[in-house]
Amino acid sequence: MIIRRSISIVITLSLALVFIFVSDMVYAGDELNCVLCHKHRGLSRIDKDGQFRLFYINQELFESGPHRRNKCKDCHSDIDRIPHNPAKEVDCTQQCHIVEPSGNKKFSHKPVAKILENSTHGKLDKNGEPKPYQEDFPSCKSCHDQPLYRPFSIYKGEKVAGISKRAMSRCKSCHTSGDFAEDFYEHVTTRLHKSRYSVETIEVCAKCHQDEGFRERHELDDVITSYKETFHGKMVILGSEKTPDCIDCHVVTGENTHLIESQSVDTSSVHENNLNTTCRTSECHAEAGAMLSSFQTHVTYDREKYPMQFYMLIGFKALMAFVLYFFLTLIFFELLRRLFPKFSFFKEKKIDDYDDILHEIKSSIKQNEQSSDDKNIAPNTSPENPPDSSSGKSPENSPGKTSDKTKSLDDILRGKKE
Amino acid sequence: MSKRYQPIVYKDGKRYFYRFSAHQRVQHVILFTTVITLALTGFPLRHAEESWAKPLYYFMGGPDIAPLIHRAAGTVLLGLFVYHSLYWISLFYKNHILKLKQNNELTVGNFMRELLSLEMVPNKKDLLDIIHLWKYLFYITNRPPRHERMSWREKFDYFAPYWGIPILGPAGVALWWRDEVTHFMPGWVLNAAYIMHTDEALLAVLFLFFVHWYNVHYSPEKFPAATVWLTGYLNEHDMIHEHYNEYIKVMIENGLEDKIKPQNFGGEEYEW
Repeated sequence: MIIRRSISIVITLSLALVFIFVSDMVYAGDELNCVLCHKHRGLSRIDKDGQFRLFYINQELFESGPHRRNKCKDCHSDIDRIPHNPAKEVDCTQQCHIVEPSGNKKFSHKPVAKILENSTHGKLDKNGEPKPYQEDFPSCKSCHDQPLYRPFSIYKGEKVAGISKRAMSRCKSCHTSGDFAEDFYEHVTTRLHKSRYSVETIEVCAKCHQDEGFRERHELDDVITSYKETFHGKMVILGSEKTPDCIDCHVVTGENTHLIESQSVDTSSVHENNLNTTCRTSECHAEAGAMLSSFQTHVTYDREKYPMQFYMLIGFKALMAFVLYFFLTLIFFELLRRLFPKFSFFKEKKIDDYDDILHEIKSSIKQNEQSSDDKNIAPNTSPENPPDSSSGKSPENSPGKTSDKTKSLDDILRGKKE
Repeated sequence: MSKRYQPIVYKDGKRYFYRFSAHQRVQHVILFTTVITLALTGFPLRHAEESWAKPLYYFMGGPDIAPLIHRAAGTVLLGLFVYHSLYWISLFYKNHILKLKQNNELTVGNFMRELLSLEMVPNKKDLLDIIHLWKYLFYITNRPPRHERMSWREKFDYFAPYWGIPILGPAGVALWWRDEVTHFMPGWVLNAAYIMHTDEALLAVLFLFFVHWYNVHYSPEKFPAATVWLTGYLNEHDMIHEHYNEYIKVMIENGLEDKIKPQNFGGEEYEW
């Protein structure tokens, strides 16, 4: 009995130890132990709107994400008990409990949200009135979908992810304690390099701008498709890192990425007065002339908007259709003709010989011999010694122009045909 | 050309008829090498979203190298175009204009007559041959057309680059020097150049790889490949089939009129 009990105690204790150890591995921010439930891969449900919602949190992804030092409650502030009620959507502009090192204030994404409000993507128009179709305007998460919520995606950005150890060694010489140096390093460097591949940027914009209903509601062209028609788009799809994506042209150099403005606003990078400056930045078309701005990037082959492109395209397609249909039909019937080579509705007489042609050729040669005085053309020259007048055979020469004999010969052959 | 080619040569007891000089064959090799290179480096970009595009493009050098290859091949092709034009113009001058000059017959009318009588220039006979071919294909007649030295198909093949390169070449040059071009031309010219370059290229490639390659590769008589582009000589069977009038003419000129074979359009020749 004692042995049995001691065994059970040992097992219980070791289990408890394991549990404590495991829960200690959970990231520091999880003081409420949310991951206890949310670590289960199948944690999901179908919500009221019939949408499938996944509540699984991949700890590995979360701990290497930008919010790993936030506590769950910093963003999900409406959760006050466990198990909790359905949580509200996270508001990125609220203050979280991270203290900003520069001003010792609590951190918030509000300044960026402010910039977004002033851009063409803001929910309010100039007069502060809500624009129609509010739900179409993007919030933070419309573009910044975290890797956390993308279960099958791998980190984008630099080829070697994480902290450069050599750079770190410089910081570490002074900032010896804690992981401040690592966090600060990451905080700065992630904002210095391109956070998305161009292909991903286009996909982010395409989420709305390629949606047909969205485009109809806002009377917008399919700019994604037209972009992909350009060499810019095609090079980006093929993996070029030098070619512009949406943001490169639609954000004024030096401005915040969130300040994308409508073409009609005169401070926009794609306003007709600013196109010149935008295209002729040092990295792109620096050598270009001022007339480059009349280049049309988002061509939709719409008859009214882009008549030149429309009619050129129609012209080329018609030409292509004509040429190819003509020859492919010809090939088709030619192959078909070989199935019944001997058959024909009308048979020509003397089909299998050329006596009629030959007779005329011979008589014309005789005539020519009589009429021409110095021609030494012998019709019976051996093949090894071709007659001198055979210059008509050199391909550059037009047959039938080099001598009277061949000329009349051609005439006969042609005449026979016609 | 200093070398004189035998109009008929014998190999293994078979007759072969002279068609292309070495000079012309080399031009053809340069032409198709550059065109295939251009297609391989250009079409992955044109169809960037297709699954085959990326592997092929990276095989051809990727976004950094493939455009350089494309431009180099394009330059060679444009050079060949200019060279070939000078080539036939100089031959035309030597063989036709000089003669007119010697006889003091150089008038505009005579000049045009000589120009239009060049073997590559389409003429009324070609139109009649096309009509005749359709008659033959629809079983209205049992005699296939009898072509001259250059059949209308070959003329079309020849003039395809002659209309393609003047469209593709300048457009390609404009897209290459896109920045410089905008100093004296409006930007929408590049829009036009883009359509010209990509759509004409598609037409050219589809025509070459379907129609021209049918004529010289896929067609039952030629499969797997015709050899005239290598040797310059065409065998008797194909000569009879494709250039019967020329065949008769060459045979008579070489004193072989008793060896002339019938056109055999009854179909006996086809043994496949």
